[in-house]
Amino acid sequence: MKRGLVFLMVVIFAFSAFAKTKLVINSNASDPAPREAFKKVVALFQEKHPEYDVVVNTFPHEDFKTLLRTWLNSKEAPDVVTWFAGERMRYFAEKGLLLPLDDVFTDMSFEDYFPGSFKSASEYNGKIYFLPFTWYWWSVYYNTEVFEKYNLTPPVTWSQFLNICEVLKENGVTPITIGTKYLWPTGGWFDYLDMRVNGYDFHMDLTAGKIPYTDERVKKVFEYWKQLVDNGYFLENHSSYTWQDAASFLFRGEAGMYLMGQFIKDVAPAEVKDKLDFFRFPIIDGNVGVYEETPIDGFMVPAKANNPDGAKEFIKFLASKEVQDMYSKELGRLAANKDVTPPDAHAQKGLDLVLASDGVAQFYDRDTDPEMATFGMNKFVEFMTFSQRLDVILKQLEFQRRKIFK
Amino acid sequence: MKKKWWIPYAFLALPLTMYLIWVIIPIFQTFIISFTDWDSVSPSYNFIGFENYKMLFYDYYFLTSLLNNIKWMVGFVIVAIPVGLGIAMLMDQKYKGNKFYKTMMYLPMTLSFVVIGEIWTWILEPNHGVINEFLRGIGLGNLAKPWLSDPNLVTYALIFAALWRQISYAMVLFLAGLQSVPTEQVEAAYVDGANSWQRFWYVILPALRPAMVIAITVNVIDSLRAFDIVFVITRGGPFYSSSVMANYMYIESFNNYNMGYGAAIAVIQFFITLGFIIWYLINSFKKEDNL
Repeated sequence: MKRGLVFLMVVIFAFSAFAKTKLVINSNASDPAPREAFKKVVALFQEKHPEYDVVVNTFPHEDFKTLLRTWLNSKEAPDVVTWFAGERMRYFAEKGLLLPLDDVFTDMSFEDYFPGSFKSASEYNGKIYFLPFTWYWWSVYYNTEVFEKYNLTPPVTWSQFLNICEVLKENGVTPITIGTKYLWPTGGWFDYLDMRVNGYDFHMDLTAGKIPYTDERVKKVFEYWKQLVDNGYFLENHSSYTWQDAASFLFRGEAGMYLMGQFIKDVAPAEVKDKLDFFRFPIIDGNVGVYEETPIDGFMVPAKANNPDGAKEFIKFLASKEVQDMYSKELGRLAANKDVTPPDAHAQKGLDLVLASDGVAQFYDRDTDPEMATFGMNKFVEFMTFSQRLDVILKQLEFQRRKIFK
Repeated sequence: MKKKWWIPYAFLALPLTMYLIWVIIPIFQTFIISFTDWDSVSPSYNFIGFENYKMLFYDYYFLTSLLNNIKWMVGFVIVAIPVGLGIAMLMDQKYKGNKFYKTMMYLPMTLSFVVIGEIWTWILEPNHGVINEFLRGIGLGNLAKPWLSDPNLVTYALIFAALWRQISYAMVLFLAGLQSVPTEQVEAAYVDGANSWQRFWYVILPALRPAMVIAITVNVIDSLRAFDIVFVITRGGPFYSSSVMANYMYIESFNNYNMGYGAAIAVIQFFITLGFIIWYLINSFKKEDNL
């Protein structure tokens, strides 16, 4: 009896000694490099705010995507979650599952922290629901060794680009590598071709479901794509590969180019990293503005968070120059905070590319409805396998668009 | 000491409660959800009657998935069962090294389908995969195929990978069944001058009937719930050509936010499976009546 009482006392004591408020963060930063970098961010927060007991749960990307909805709906919602800006965030904001973050920016406005262009990707109905953290550019990455070997220089125009593809193919090198097992790398091709052929406004209207996929202008996009497919410039059997598998063809010099985001460097072996460079996606129509893909990654607070005050404290911490500087240096990515300078020459080049553009998009699967994205990207893979089915594919895309965007 | 009647029920109470909460109730919830347009995110939804079910029959990808499940079923029944039985007959003989071979054949059973999927992703890889390298090595390079990228081949490639494990499962069932074959009858047949084929066909096979019913049922049900290998190796791709019902249900419910539609797929899958379970039960009761 006495023993039980002592035990109880010890338990109570133990709990009161650690009576900190819990702050739960669910993160999708599962690749080794980002995971390590985020650990440092949390350690710094813990140092500055010892009153919080921070718990970080990390999940693999694809699992995170499916689990997020469950968390947002549950009573035991995490306090902070990682996510993507744009339509992907808006989907949840619209359903009232997110907490507005406007009161985080009381002493300074959102625009004091971030470039003005980030606002539209972070808000819904005039309220901020998303904290931009890092972002990166997409472009055509190439193996400099391969280019040197065949005396090639980065192209500017579409015909120069086709020329390079032809030279590489003649020499037995796969011109363009791509892994379509998880579908999304095809979205990059569709976005860039559409933005180069039809421009940004058209692309945004299309992804918003306002333009039929059977429109002549959409068909034109696929006709450019078809030139590459029919000439056999893409990696053979691309649907057997994940994006990382396909990247290894580029790293080994078996392929010359890869349309990909900056994070390709996360998976490149150390000895290859410096052999990778990138160039702007070739210009197709000189009369159309130059637009780039720059997905923004960041954080949100679920409406059902148990510790909304702590969550906002953490969000404010994440917005600061100090933290964003630290994180972007770790990964060579660009920080959302506009006071942070690019961490290295590679990132500076990427930033210059974006600053010289006329506008930026997020990505096909972040700009359009999730169901449309799955269907669309499946159809893109089908097109890249059987380009002769183009007309049927366009009709099917249009049928799906009408079903989804009623 | 007087036996307390409630003791067995007390032991059952916890597992039964858990089974009820995590298996039985969700099955009924799935029925309900399948009549709604719930997107799994919104707090509210509408009842739309049989709309989801009607849509399924116009859905090319669902029909592809259903057809693929049938291919899996045929593969599992006409390949795994005879081959598994054949191997079991071989393993049942007494010869040197018999235990070693038995272990080797049984090994795939110890692996989960996820691990098998990872292994076969490499075996089937088109450029440097074991199968294609082997075919090229023995001068049959023209038989090397993009197993996972060709929409007409990919389902067969996946079934082949799954059979690797399924055959060893069938073998284990038949090995167990062979223990119950009465040796006197086999010996009597031998004395009567029956050759080995006749002994197999008229004596052993009828005695294996219970094992056969179990093997067929297990294989049919396994083929209907095929998911892991597809998910790991192709995710149903390229463009849904290797999709099976479970896989399509997962994509619709969890990637495309169509929980109601996904639930309808699950319900159809449930009833097909239930049909086979009833067939199994009828068969096993029949057997008891005969005894």
